[in-house]
Order: sequence, then structure tokens, then C-alpha cells
Amino acid sequence: MKRMEISMDRALRNIWRNKLVSFLCLGIIAFTLMIFGLFEFISHNLDQFTKRFSQNVEAIFYLKDNVTDAEVDKLIARLRENLLVRKVNYKSSQLARTDFIREFPDLEFILAEFDASPFPASLEIAFHPQYNFDTKVSTLISEISQLPQVESREVNLEWAHKIVTVKRFISLVGAFLSTILIFVSVFIIYNVIKLNILYRREEIYIQELVGATRRYIRFPFVIEGALLGFSGGLLSILLLMATVRLFPAYAGLVFDLLRDVVTVDRIPHSIFLHLLVLGTVIGLFSALFALNRFLRPPKES
Amino acid sequence: MHNSGRMVELYHVYKQYVKGDWALQDVNLSVSKGEFVFLTGASGAGKTTLLKLIFKDETPSKGQILVDSVNINLISAKHVFRLRRKIGIVFQDFKLIESMTVFENVALPLVVRGERRSVISRMVHSALSLVGLSHRKNYPPSHISGGEQQRVAIARAIVGNPKIIVADEPTGNLDTDLSIEVFKIFERINANGITIILATHDQHLLQLFPRRVIRLDKGRLVSGWDRETRA
Repeated sequence: MKRMEISMDRALRNIWRNKLVSFLCLGIIAFTLMIFGLFEFISHNLDQFTKRFSQNVEAIFYLKDNVTDAEVDKLIARLRENLLVRKVNYKSSQLARTDFIREFPDLEFILAEFDASPFPASLEIAFHPQYNFDTKVSTLISEISQLPQVESREVNLEWAHKIVTVKRFISLVGAFLSTILIFVSVFIIYNVIKLNILYRREEIYIQELVGATRRYIRFPFVIEGALLGFSGGLLSILLLMATVRLFPAYAGLVFDLLRDVVTVDRIPHSIFLHLLVLGTVIGLFSALFALNRFLRPPKES
Repeated sequence: MHNSGRMVELYHVYKQYVKGDWALQDVNLSVSKGEFVFLTGASGAGKTTLLKLIFKDETPSKGQILVDSVNINLISAKHVFRLRRKIGIVFQDFKLIESMTVFENVALPLVVRGERRSVISRMVHSALSLVGLSHRKNYPPSHISGGEQQRVAIARAIVGNPKIIVADEPTGNLDTDLSIEVFKIFERINANGITIILATHDQHLLQLFPRRVIRLDKGRLVSGWDRETRA
């Protein structure tokens, strides 16, 4: 514990001694991690959106006029047995007419021209949300469409599939950019530690001569790297929160749709945790990398 | 204060930095426990190299070196700190850490060992009073004179109760009066049974403090070796 205290003290002294370089490094790490966090946040929101959307995914199958009640009952029974199906609702031709009048009372006069309801009877099918993006659902929809009783279909699943594709693309771009930026962070911390090692070479030599262990000499640098990474992570959280806070105003100016797609009210705590852990790991890794490169033990004879 | 037994032994030691150019050649030497010896020779004779071999800052190209009966060739880089804790090292350029106070510089060997604060405080005060610098403990090294800086370096070398002190031209940057003062401090340290190997080319001081003188010339030992190890 005492050694830890000494190492922490020395690490903080190092950071303060090279404050300009350290704070510049901190800013770059924070920005880098913020970009990572932003992509994770966007991806999370698209996930949430598709989840919410998938609750309402329905397929509507319009039936041919000559389909008998017995055939409809048989079809409903068969669909209800299917594990993918959550709900089957039959809407008769007459009920469809009533719904139309209720929703568009001004257009009721059009229907006066028809003796019978011009709307086809239909089956509205909702699927269990966990299967909505499963290929089995798509297969089932195709199978139902090909039944002789079915005239046509209307499925809002395609749009959800497009959202998922967009989300995958954004995740991919995010992963690509984040990887590059993480390498940049590693490179920056590595160089800060390298500069510190070179700057303190004489001091390190003196420590070696008075009997310091390798661990004693190396540990403050490791802590310094971890501290820079952790602080960068902390700062990136503040940057991310500020960005997200400003986003609704910007999105409102651009187009209202984004307001619905992105829930900007709250950043999941898991993202905060990811940024802190990632920052610390980057710091540790970079410091160890620099130490192994610039603080090697003397060559054996 | 000559104890039985050997503190430092060198057997057929060679060192070359550049191929074909020997910094040390076939050096055989022994220093007894509690002995105070001078190492002398012209610049480039190999004094610093020989001292660096003793505290394993360099490794010999050939030959064996024993310190306190331990063959230091067999000590790995990871465990060299154990050897260094037996040796106090003093340099011509003092090698004090500028960002630390006199007290912190002297305390360093104890801090790296993880000693308790109370122990550090007691031992540092004792070392500083031996070199007469207790009143300067809170000063940064740059605020004290060269002679005082060298005394701080000596205090740092003795604070961890080493078995041996290796000093490389400790008076090289000091005038005669200060050099004499520093030599007297080494005498006091030696009186406590600590072996001292001191490299100097100051013939005047060698005459003032008559001790065994080991003389090097172009990497070869030309006088002052111990007869037992010459063969």
C-alpha cells in the first residue's frame, strides 16, 4: 500500500512536471474516446429504436373474396399453432368498412356507391419480437403469401430490416474509426511515457544504483499511463454528455425525424463504464509498451 | 580496521567496449573487508570501468568478479538490486536528483527498500550529521556548494549501511581544502568497518592519506595488487 502511495505520488509529479504535454495528451485521448462513445451511443439508440419498432411489426394478408368462413377458421387455427406468431386477428370485410368510416368520416359518401363493402377481409399477424428479424419469419410470410386464399400482403418488416442494416453500417464505421483513434491514443500515451523516461533517464539510473528494483522504477510509469487513460475516459464522458445534450437542438434544426430515432435523454451507464475501462486499458498497454521499449534491463554478458 | 576475508575479488578480468581495444586486461585483484584502497592511473587507464564492473553497471568480457563472496556474473539483471544495496556509490558529478531536497536525495536508498518513515528519518539524520549537513536537509542540491553536494552524495552512499563504498573521483570537482575534508569523511566511514575503493588521480591526496594504492595503466594493473590473487 505504501509502495502504491509512493508510485502514485511519483506518477502525479511526472504528470504535473510535463503538464503541457500531459494535458494535450489527455485532450486527444478524451476526444478519441468520445468518438468511440458517440458511435456506441448511436448504435445503442438504433438498437433501442429497432426493438421498439419490432414490437409493432405486423403482416397483413388480404384474403380473396371467395374464401369461406371455414377456410378462414382453419387458417387462423394453423397460424396460432405456429411458435413465431404472437397474435392473429381476423378483420372481416364489413369490419374494415366500419374502421374506414370511423377513421375517415368525411369520405363515407364514397362508400355509398358500393352495395357491399369494397374492402377485402384480412388477417393481421403479429410476431413474437425476438423472431422479428429472424429469417424464419420472412419464410413464413412468403409461405402464407403463396396460399390460394391470400390475395396480397402488406408487411412493415422491410423498413425495420433497413434500419438494422443502417445500424450495422454505423457500427462498422464506428468500429473502424474507433480502432484507428484508439491506435492514435496508444501512440500518444506511448510517446508521453517515452518522453518521461528519456527526460528522467539520469534519475532512473540513480535509482538503479541505489538498489531500486525494476518494479519500483517501472510502476510509476505504469500508473502514469493508467491515470492518463482513466482521466481521458472521464473527460470523454463529459464531452459525450455535452455533445448529446446539444444534439436535440441541432437535430431539431436539421429534421424532426431524428428526434424520434435517437432517444437523447439518457446515455446508458454501460457506455460510461466502457469509456473508463477502455481509457485505462489503453493507458496501461501504452505505458507497458513504452517501458519494454525504453526501459530494458542491461544486457547480460 | 582490517578484517579477515575478502570483500572484492577479481580474477583474470577483461573488458572491451570496442573489438580489439581492451579497457581492462587480465586484472587480478582483491580488497579485504574493511580495507581502504585507492585506485589510480591516468585518464583512460580503466579506473571507472573497473569500478563499474564491481557494482555491475558493466559486465566483464572475460573473468570472474566476487563481491562479498558472491560471483556477480551469476546475478541476473532482475536481481542486481541486491548487489547494489551492499554498495554505496559516489561519483565525481555527485548524481543528485535536482527535483528532490537534500533529505530526499539521501533518503532515496531507504525509500526504494520500502523502509518505514521513522526509520528513514532516523537514518538520514544520522548520515547527514556524519557529513555535517543536517542544517541543509531542506535545500535543493542546486542551492548548496559543490563540496556540500559531494557530502550529500556520500551521505546517500552510507545511509543504507553498505558493506562497501565505491567512489569514482569524488574530489575531481573540488578544490584541495574541500577534497581533504571529503577524504576525512571517507576515513571516518572506513573507521566504522566499511570497505572503501576510491578512484583518484590526485597524487597530493594520495601522499596525505597513505593507503594501499592500486595503479592501472592502459587497462593493466601495474601495482598494488594483492599477492594472493596475482598468480
